[in-house]
Amino acid sequence: MALRALALAAFLAIGFALSLSVSEYSLRLLNLAAISATAVIGLNFAFGYAGLISLGHSAFMGLGAYILAILTTQAGWSPWLAALPAILGTGLAAILIGVPLLRLKGHYLALATLGLNVSFGIVAANWIEVTGGTNGISKIPGVSVLGHSLEGERPFLWLALVVIAVLAVAASLIQRSRYGRAMMAVRDDETAAAMTGINVTATKVAAFALSAVYAAVAGCLFAAHVHFISPDDFNFAHSITFLSMLIVGGEGTIAGAIIGAVLLTFLPEWLRVLGESYLAFFGLMMLAILIFMPTGIVGLLSRLRRPARSEAPAALVAPGEGARP
Amino acid sequence: MADLIQLLTNGLALGSVYALAAIGFVIVYSATGVVNFAAGQFVMVGTFAGVAMLLNAELPMPVGYTAALVVMALFGALFYLVVYLPLRRSPIVTVIIGTVAIGITLQNTALLTFGSWPFRLPSPFEGMMVEVAGAVISVHALAVVAATAVMILLLWLLLHRTAVGIAMRAVAQDVKAARLMGLRVQWLLAFSWILGAVLAGVAGLMLGPMWFADVNMGDPIALKAFAATVIGGFGSLPGAIAGGFFVGLAEVLGASYISSAYKDLIAFGVMILFLLVRPQGIFGEPIQDRG
Amino acid sequence: MLTTRRTLLSLTLGTAVGAALRPAFAAGEPIAIGAAIPTTGPLSLSGKQYFNTLTMAEEDINKAGGINGRPIKFVFEDAGASNSTAVSAFVKLVQETKPPFVFLSSYSTQNLATAPEVTKAKIPVMYAGGADAVADSSGGWMFRIRPTDSLAARGMAQFVRTLKATKPGIMYIQNDFGQGGAQAAAKLLEANGMAPVGSEAYGQNDKDFSAQLLRLRQKGADVILTFVYPADGALLLRQIKALGLKMPVVASSGSFLPASVQLLSPSDLDNVWGVIDTFVDPSVGGRMADFTTRYKAKFGQDGDAYGLAYYDGALILAEGLKTVGTDPEKLRSFIASQKSWDGIGQTYSFDDKGNGVPGVVVVKAKPGTKTLELVERIRPA
Repeated sequence: MALRALALAAFLAIGFALSLSVSEYSLRLLNLAAISATAVIGLNFAFGYAGLISLGHSAFMGLGAYILAILTTQAGWSPWLAALPAILGTGLAAILIGVPLLRLKGHYLALATLGLNVSFGIVAANWIEVTGGTNGISKIPGVSVLGHSLEGERPFLWLALVVIAVLAVAASLIQRSRYGRAMMAVRDDETAAAMTGINVTATKVAAFALSAVYAAVAGCLFAAHVHFISPDDFNFAHSITFLSMLIVGGEGTIAGAIIGAVLLTFLPEWLRVLGESYLAFFGLMMLAILIFMPTGIVGLLSRLRRPARSEAPAALVAPGEGARP
Repeated sequence: MADLIQLLTNGLALGSVYALAAIGFVIVYSATGVVNFAAGQFVMVGTFAGVAMLLNAELPMPVGYTAALVVMALFGALFYLVVYLPLRRSPIVTVIIGTVAIGITLQNTALLTFGSWPFRLPSPFEGMMVEVAGAVISVHALAVVAATAVMILLLWLLLHRTAVGIAMRAVAQDVKAARLMGLRVQWLLAFSWILGAVLAGVAGLMLGPMWFADVNMGDPIALKAFAATVIGGFGSLPGAIAGGFFVGLAEVLGASYISSAYKDLIAFGVMILFLLVRPQGIFGEPIQDRG
Repeated sequence: MLTTRRTLLSLTLGTAVGAALRPAFAAGEPIAIGAAIPTTGPLSLSGKQYFNTLTMAEEDINKAGGINGRPIKFVFEDAGASNSTAVSAFVKLVQETKPPFVFLSSYSTQNLATAPEVTKAKIPVMYAGGADAVADSSGGWMFRIRPTDSLAARGMAQFVRTLKATKPGIMYIQNDFGQGGAQAAAKLLEANGMAPVGSEAYGQNDKDFSAQLLRLRQKGADVILTFVYPADGALLLRQIKALGLKMPVVASSGSFLPASVQLLSPSDLDNVWGVIDTFVDPSVGGRMADFTTRYKAKFGQDGDAYGLAYYDGALILAEGLKTVGTDPEKLRSFIASQKSWDGIGQTYSFDDKGNGVPGVVVVKAKPGTKTLELVERIRPA
């Protein structure tokens, strides 16, 4: 407990120190990383704890962002007020989708959620009266607190740090609660979990809905940060990126979600010095990370303290059975 | 009526390409268990192997096609060594992300090598058209459908009538048993990657003249091939073919009879529906553990 | 692990901050101008052109003595294929290069996403996205060096009348450009008493347009207006001919870029009119011939109208820098006050919304060839 409180304090301290010391451009990247981290901490419920491979996470982020954008720009709501229906609506949508969809496992679920994400993009691009079509929605208002505008990268980062801290604490509490343990039990062995009296379907749906709620928060942050959203901002490539962030950081851990989001946000930007070939290198580096750090950065760090885990038995293992210390 | 014939032929030609891409994907999946998200990039590499041989090296067509397929075979072997072997014991998600990562590298390497302008690959049937009941059909499109049929036949013969093919199917069904029977499992797995890459190469060479060669063409093809694979049945070759044709026809007929703006919802909607109602697809096979 | 992150961050940020602290405009040092344009991904097809023409402009300006003796230097950042990458590229330039001016991409959604940052940075930019909405978000700092989509649509609608067609059908790509152009054209045609008989969409990655084209034929379209990107524009023209459709086609500028025309056979351009930004062809003579010849010699490809707009933009900028210096506010007013700047591709005239291109041109291939000729200039009132 003390360790986690310390980690939280360190996170906030480092974030605050960075917010005061780095350039505006790095602040912007930190904000992008923070928005991604919010989404990835959420994805950790679905994938890290419950073992559900979701390649549709970005659609939930988009749903939240669109609800917020529509309510603020067309109905004139304040972003704070609009965030409520955005978050709750997205959670509800995830429950409705999750009930039928979460009977699927492994790559079946991955492809179904991928199809969902592609479908979301098609609807967002063509339902012009509501979503503005491919031109998106612009002039989304920023947020302010007690009359102080949080415009500008630095104040926004403070907001994002607070949001992440709150969501991370919540995630940590859930992880250690009965519900979190139920999720991990379902991930590790559904049959055994069911025999101990866990409602497998409800647990999965809950994990999925929680992950969508976090994604919606990320979507609201995104809309308020960029002031402009369009279907491309939420295409399936972003879902794959979120999953990559979680794997690279270290699945199943909140710290891993944050570290992965920061690293994969900054990595392509750092590689810009390579000129034209930077994305080609980015792909290779990702592959290298996956090969040489199969348990992610957090896994690597904890492996330095613990003896090596035994190897997974086969290539096609359920996500819960493999790379986990 | 003429319009319907036109739409059906175009849909079948489109479906052939999806089917071939899906077969390449399924061969690899059923042998190695890898869900290859770079499958679309394989097709792109195949098209650009054609560009390199036919347009850059200016080889005559038969030589050029052969050379391009040899390149694809080498590419498949390289992929096996660099991506599959190091990741073969990783969980499925790590492998998915790994193939996505290498897909980014492939796409950007192609951009650096060939530039951003699209290319037009020549067709052996350049400009040839036939008229059937008022519909104008390009001979190339017919050839694509025919070539797909031939490829499928060859593949069936390979898998059911040759020692290598039968061994491959044994590995696909049970790696441990295959190993105990003395099969050289790693060689067979490598061969599956090579076969998958060559099939993607065939798809790439055939679509080049119809669609132009474009370094960004990979991902959209992969998405359609995934839909085809799921609808047909994961791991099933007849399924990949049926699924490919279904997706191709749905795209063209959907645009004609339902809505051109929402037509892609059909393929992905049906895909999700199949996953919910019949996850094994039309011709589904049970999934095995692979090694 | 948090220390790891911080170490990693500070390592790179160290260099970033270092770069930012250097005095930007020491005497004799080049004047750095930003360019956040796509050099990777699908949008690099046009992004590479901007890269080339801006590089060429840099050389030309410096050869002619630079900005009152100081050389000019373009600093490029990849705007990639996403809005977020485009914004990052712009912010990076603003922070690290501290340029008095930046070129943005030609993609409206990237422009729209970057607009708030431009207003915040308070430096003038030139951009080439066509969506009318960008001008509303520009805050007075953004200058458009290409026709707006609605202007192009107006040109196309007007030319339909020249063709004496009465039942237009529309084909458009499903993105901000296509949707916007098709909507604008439909509205104008309707106002002129020629309501479109059909309006069909296709996806950015679609390869078969037979269903949409046959639907337009069924509905009796006697002219097809197409709003396209380069590669799909070429594919669409080929399929129109392959399907045996005989009606004239009025195509948007994407179809007539060299990247697109090189994919076509002369017969594909039969009965096809292009409503494009400007006629880029050596036959125009003068500075245009000089530009096209040198571009081809330097890059081994034909230059296009979009690239030329960036070259012209760089020349406008250079004159501004010579006249009023590097103060962003003064540069902004300089550009805004240009009402008839004689560029190679256009006579630029910036209106109060920052739109600098008041007209479009109609071109057509000479029969049996792919050589284009000018049909008419359209400058809608």
